[in-house]
Amino acid sequence: MKKLIVIALLVPMVFMLMNCGGKPKAKMNNIPEWYLNPPKAEDAIYEAGDAAKQSMGLAKEAADARARDAISRTIEVKVSNMLKNFMQESGIGEDAEALEFTSSVSKQVSNNVLRGARIVKREMKTEGSMYHAYSLAEYNLNSLIQETLNEAKKQKALYNEAKANLSFEDLEKEIQKLEAVGQ
Amino acid sequence: MKRIFVQTILAFTFEVCFSQTVIPEWFENLPQAPPGTMYSVGYSGKYINHSLARESAIAVATKNMAKQIKSRLAFEIEELSDGRFRLLKPTFGLSYKKDIYVNIVDKCVIADSAITDNGYFVLLAYPDIQHHISGNLKKWGNKPAWTEKLPFNKEYNYGVGIVSNYSSWVRAWKDADEYARFDLGKNFEIEARSIHTSKRDNKFIVESNILRQSYDKEFSNTVVISRWYDRENDIYYSLCRQAKKFNK
Repeated sequence: MKKLIVIALLVPMVFMLMNCGGKPKAKMNNIPEWYLNPPKAEDAIYEAGDAAKQSMGLAKEAADARARDAISRTIEVKVSNMLKNFMQESGIGEDAEALEFTSSVSKQVSNNVLRGARIVKREMKTEGSMYHAYSLAEYNLNSLIQETLNEAKKQKALYNEAKANLSFEDLEKEIQKLEAVGQ
Repeated sequence: MKRIFVQTILAFTFEVCFSQTVIPEWFENLPQAPPGTMYSVGYSGKYINHSLARESAIAVATKNMAKQIKSRLAFEIEELSDGRFRLLKPTFGLSYKKDIYVNIVDKCVIADSAITDNGYFVLLAYPDIQHHISGNLKKWGNKPAWTEKLPFNKEYNYGVGIVSNYSSWVRAWKDADEYARFDLGKNFEIEARSIHTSKRDNKFIVESNILRQSYDKEFSNTVVISRWYDRENDIYYSLCRQAKKFNK
């Protein structure tokens, strides 16, 4: 009986010791090359995302979302530069209204609608009981350039600064909520 | 009692070891339908009564047909993280039109059907076609390239659905097919919003992140054209395709 109690105590202890190394880490040779060094192209943006979850479906969704988010943040910078160039080339860079428009569009693109941001490569690895998903997103710059120019040309029709500010404020409120939970 | 226990263990072992070994060839790769016609696949698990299995497979095929003709997809994913905790909330909503479903029930025909050790499969054609297909049973082929690299074609949009660790293969394929449809939607158009902040104090940098991506759109002609089952790792893959002309 005593022996049984000792075994019953020892077995969970062994399992606890085996798990005290934290979450299993990805083996370096298992990480896809395109994740470490995303491809570069003149006409497209590539960004990678990854996520480790207990559920394969969630890992895939999170990795895809993070890759697309990286694309969205990259194009924000590119679009703002392109608009600046467009303003200068059109000779309206000194116009006060045009300057106001530039700032509003750059806010708008922080809420980007990504058309054709495709997950072109995906790999799923297992790390212990976790699934680790790697996703590579591709966004064609030609469509981005065209869409940005279209935006610029019909500036007044699409200009909706109040809406952009409102949604941005919503997100800022969410950040504050998040901070409150974390405290 | 002992006998029932042994039978249960044997049945379970059989189900695990021999799940999805043999399938009709049109289940793996959907054949090209004649102009003006569409195909969809339905499947059901083991039933004692074959007619019940057939009925269930036809119901799945009919719903699949309605979804592929026109379905509204609403997707949202939100991830909140502040360095201490992370919360991921994906939501998927799919709806299709009742009148389309009723029309399919009226005018569809079974182009082929097959029974395997663990299921019943039907290939539905809509509207009615004169000729029937005779698909052979086959084992799963080698891992297709599309499971790792999305196909590229100027005329089509694609999406891939992946699921794993399902006790029922019927449920697994249903989910893989639907996730493939949602993936296609995300590749087509998605609204992406995020805020990243980084706060530094004397000791730490706390990075907060809110990410929200969503779309709500009606899609026509989204067809699951290929499936593949990774027996070694128990992973189900579905490939969905849509001709770009249906999204202009």
